[in-house]
Amino acid sequence: MDQISYETALLWVFLLPLAGALVNGLLGRNADRGLVGGIATGSVALSFLLSLLCSVRVLGMVGGEEDAKIVTDVYAWMSVGSLPIDVRFVLDPLSAVMTLFVTGIATLIHVFSLGYMSEEKSWARFFAYLNLFTASMLLLVLASSLPVLFVGWEGVGVCSYLLIGFWHEEGAFADAAKKAFIVNRIGDFGLVAGMLVLAFAASSFELSAINTSIAGSPHLHFAQTDIKLATVGGLLLFLGASGKSAQLPLYVWLPDAMAGPTPVSALIHAATMVTAGVYLCCRLSGVFLASHTVLVVIAFAGAATALIGALSALVQTDLKKILAYSTVSQLGFMFAAVGVGAFTAGLFHVVTHAFFKACLFLGAGSIMHAVHAHGDADVRFLGGLGKKLPRTHATFLISVLAIAGLPPLAGFFSKDEILAGAAAAGLYAGETDPFFATTGFIVLGVLGVSAVLTAFYMFRAYAMIFRGTYKGAENGYAEEPQESEPVLTVPLIVLAVGACVVGFIGLPHAWHLPNLLGHALEGTVHDLELPQATNLPSFIALGVGLTAALVGLFAAHVAYPGDGPDKVAVLPERVRGFFLRSFGIDDLYARAVARPVRVLAEFSAAIDRTLVDFVLVEVPRHATALASRLFVKMQDGVVHTYALAMAVGLAALVGFYTYPHTDVTAVVNGNAVTLRTEPGLGYRYRWDTNGDARGDEGWESELAAGTNEIEAHYEPSDFAGIELLVRTDRYPDRTLRLGRHPRELTEADLEPGQLVTSEIGELRPAVWVEGNELHVRPNGRQLYVGARALPLDQESVVRANESLRVGRSAMIIVLPVVRVGLEVETAFGQRVHRTFDIALMQESMRTDLPVTEIAGEEEGEP
Amino acid sequence: MTLSFGTFAGLASVLFGIGAMGFLVRRSFLVQLMCLELMLNAVNVLLVAFNRARPENHDGQVFAFFVIAVAAAELAVGLAIVIAYFRLMKTVETDKANRLVE
Repeated sequence: MDQISYETALLWVFLLPLAGALVNGLLGRNADRGLVGGIATGSVALSFLLSLLCSVRVLGMVGGEEDAKIVTDVYAWMSVGSLPIDVRFVLDPLSAVMTLFVTGIATLIHVFSLGYMSEEKSWARFFAYLNLFTASMLLLVLASSLPVLFVGWEGVGVCSYLLIGFWHEEGAFADAAKKAFIVNRIGDFGLVAGMLVLAFAASSFELSAINTSIAGSPHLHFAQTDIKLATVGGLLLFLGASGKSAQLPLYVWLPDAMAGPTPVSALIHAATMVTAGVYLCCRLSGVFLASHTVLVVIAFAGAATALIGALSALVQTDLKKILAYSTVSQLGFMFAAVGVGAFTAGLFHVVTHAFFKACLFLGAGSIMHAVHAHGDADVRFLGGLGKKLPRTHATFLISVLAIAGLPPLAGFFSKDEILAGAAAAGLYAGETDPFFATTGFIVLGVLGVSAVLTAFYMFRAYAMIFRGTYKGAENGYAEEPQESEPVLTVPLIVLAVGACVVGFIGLPHAWHLPNLLGHALEGTVHDLELPQATNLPSFIALGVGLTAALVGLFAAHVAYPGDGPDKVAVLPERVRGFFLRSFGIDDLYARAVARPVRVLAEFSAAIDRTLVDFVLVEVPRHATALASRLFVKMQDGVVHTYALAMAVGLAALVGFYTYPHTDVTAVVNGNAVTLRTEPGLGYRYRWDTNGDARGDEGWESELAAGTNEIEAHYEPSDFAGIELLVRTDRYPDRTLRLGRHPRELTEADLEPGQLVTSEIGELRPAVWVEGNELHVRPNGRQLYVGARALPLDQESVVRANESLRVGRSAMIIVLPVVRVGLEVETAFGQRVHRTFDIALMQESMRTDLPVTEIAGEEEGEP
Repeated sequence: MTLSFGTFAGLASVLFGIGAMGFLVRRSFLVQLMCLELMLNAVNVLLVAFNRARPENHDGQVFAFFVIAVAAAELAVGLAIVIAYFRLMKTVETDKANRLVE
């Protein structure tokens, strides 16, 4: 096969499950159940085969000349500024390992689901979700850049939500789904913010580019301290990872997520999705290695999660809850490995954990199937199933021993590697970073304790289920449990075999045997480099791990020989309750987050009820109702009422139209003045254009058009006064109607705002009115009338139709006022006589021309 | 004797007023129709009077003819409604015609 074929095959690894999801999701509802299941399982199985093909190729290239990777360019998605974001799949050793176990375990779980979900009504929906999940997970691990990874990240989040709430008719299950979704949003915020920080620091969204260039990225100056961008980005990424991978303090959603069907718990909430955070850390190991601060934070968070998860798992009685807290705890181990810089060890544990934890979950599913438990299986009510369910029993036991870390099962090797990483950090990092070394020892100790607890609680669960006598019949479970059919047990056997052998891909260096996984990931995932490398950490880890496993298993073996009281009951009730409620983290959230939100919501609701519902809804409603009650009275249906309304309206109209209209307007063009009043039917007019109270031409004898308009000519002697128009560049025109009496103009007369004052300054001219003239004494200020400059210290006269310019942007225009008499008689003999004082403004002045253009062409100020 | 426009206008106003008042106060469908005619005729008088005052064309008189024609048509429809109404209500009193609001 040539390179192109591999690239196409890689694309189909992703496309096949997606196609399965689309086909089943859109068309599967009424399709044949066998066909739906076949499409779903077949597409994932085919995807597994293709990924096997590609992975063999990639892993075969390791150590060769060219880079060990297959790259498929799908399409250019978008570009942000100058940063291109391409959808590109990269299969390098790291993603090959992830792809292999994701598709492999997904295939097994699909097969298991064919049997386990056989009585489910929403069969196609279930398989569509599972396929969609597989596709999203593959997108996540194959993505070459952070944004594409994020799409997969959200895709698995959505599928997780959909599958936790698969039986959403039950309120608690839907709530669990919402809880998972919301808690994950907090983490996703971290991922998005971290993505932006890293893209800023590395000038690229590509994962490989971020890994290599982050170490040399600039520092951030904040509050007088230098903060590495890698630290900020790393912490934000860890926030994202801790949401998805259920680390402190965001792990609270995972135990509730057990509301989903058991195969979903096995696939999403144990084997694959929850390890996406670890994958992210390994994928961006360069970022985390660039900042010891982040590593220490991750190490402590991981170790604390491992311990808290283990203690919580210790006291649970629901089988799936035990496994859920166990998963939280094991994820803590993985993050602790990341935190001490042993990325390979963390990833190794991801792989081994996937096998034995999937096997445990599917085993739990098989047990629940056998005893007809619906949703929960209380281990106190089981027991004695060892003989009844031989295959489930054997596989479950293998997985329990594997997770406990008993050699040579898978968990032993991976846990050993993690402990060795912590021991190495403790022993050898001291020269450069003493605090980091201390962290290594603390992590080693905490993980050791957690390992003892792990062995104990897992064997406790095993013993309570399989040893002793069966107590399910009297507790609502099946009378006589039968071993599940092969479709359920074959995946169990495959996974159990995996749990036995998969550990051998990562043999410790100290044994001088080939470490296949470490070798494959050499060029992709970089562990923390320590000044010294000896076999001592491996021996310490071997001692601690083996001791922990043996102590834990032996203690549980002795404590749970068969039937008998649950030995964890010896813990004080308060401590047990505290563990049972997973250290009260949920209560903490309820107090710190949920309650303030509730208070805020109630406050908003109160506002909604008073302001919106009452003021904006009830008040207008009542007002409308009241108005309608009033107006409805007018519509009484009696013809006479309507006729009366019409008659009244008609009378009003008649009154309005028969009352004489006499408003006069003047249009001035040069010397010609046109006086105009409104026309009316049957009107007769008499004009008295010079205001001498005698008509100009006598009464019109006949009704004739046009007499509402008359031409007039005025001499200065006709003027009855003047009106001043104050025009400025900044304010609307303003008129001052002045009487015949001499009057000095005040500031208030002339100034719209402060304008004229500022223009005129301190040398304030005196301006006053005498008769039909404006008198002005400039008092040293240069003023103009038209183009004529006024003498500075003498009194000057501004006549009607002239303008006085004050400064550059203000002027006073003197308008003549004439008195016009008008008498109007209507057809009904009504007669009105009115007199008007009209300021004659030239039409050219009505414009909004700037003052300087009206005043003339002279420029400049004195 | 030459009558002024005002005389005609006054006559028309009085006729219209009588018609309107009759329409408002009487309850018999038929009487109301007659009052309607009275108002229309008042308008006709006014139109013809305007024409007399402004005799350049015959718009007013022509318009008056139109009014008469339309009034005849309207009356035909009105009487038909009266008959239908009487069949329905066994009365010709218009203030009983308020079924839509009840």
